[in-house]
Amino acid sequence: MPVEDRSVSSPAPSLSVSRSIPLLVLAWLIPGAGHFSLGRRARGAVFAAIIATALVTGWKLDGNLYRPVEGQPLTRLATLGAMGVGFPYFALRYGAGYEGDPLSGGYEYGTVFLLSAGLMNLLLVLDTWDIANGRKE
Amino acid sequence: MSHFALMLLYATLLGLFFAVLWKRERGEQARFFLKVFAGLVGGAIVLGWLMYFLPSGPPAPIP
Repeated sequence: MPVEDRSVSSPAPSLSVSRSIPLLVLAWLIPGAGHFSLGRRARGAVFAAIIATALVTGWKLDGNLYRPVEGQPLTRLATLGAMGVGFPYFALRYGAGYEGDPLSGGYEYGTVFLLSAGLMNLLLVLDTWDIANGRKE
Repeated sequence: MSHFALMLLYATLLGLFFAVLWKRERGEQARFFLKVFAGLVGGAIVLGWLMYFLPSGPPAPIP
């Protein structure tokens, strides 16, 4: 249930752009890792659990893990959204050879869960950026 | 899992995510979570009932 991050006592010191970039890459690759490395451990753990749940649910429902399709420009946008989940996208797509199953009963729901996991993680990357630059606690 | 259970799970995940992302105090988080959860689930049920009155089209093609 809702979490108050009691581990945070003061705003994070502002980081330079060059020091922020590795942090943002880490936040993108591993959901929740950006917040965790900035000392927002409770929040990072909750975000990681939420995104992992969405990802596993989408996977188990055989949802579509978007990839670009020739002649369908919107799939490029959807692919960027799905790739937002970071390393798990590449592990599923290239490691496990996962594609999803359009004939599965949970295909549409699964697609929504997978895409949402990616979009939520992209928001976390932006949140990490704000925290790292002292714009947010 | 039924469609309704999946919808509840989705609303729970989204409500929790935005409550922790946007609110800091525990009370605020709980209230915001409930608002998002109720909005998503209630909105889906209302939309579902409104669509009930629309004529149904041909069955969707199997991809």
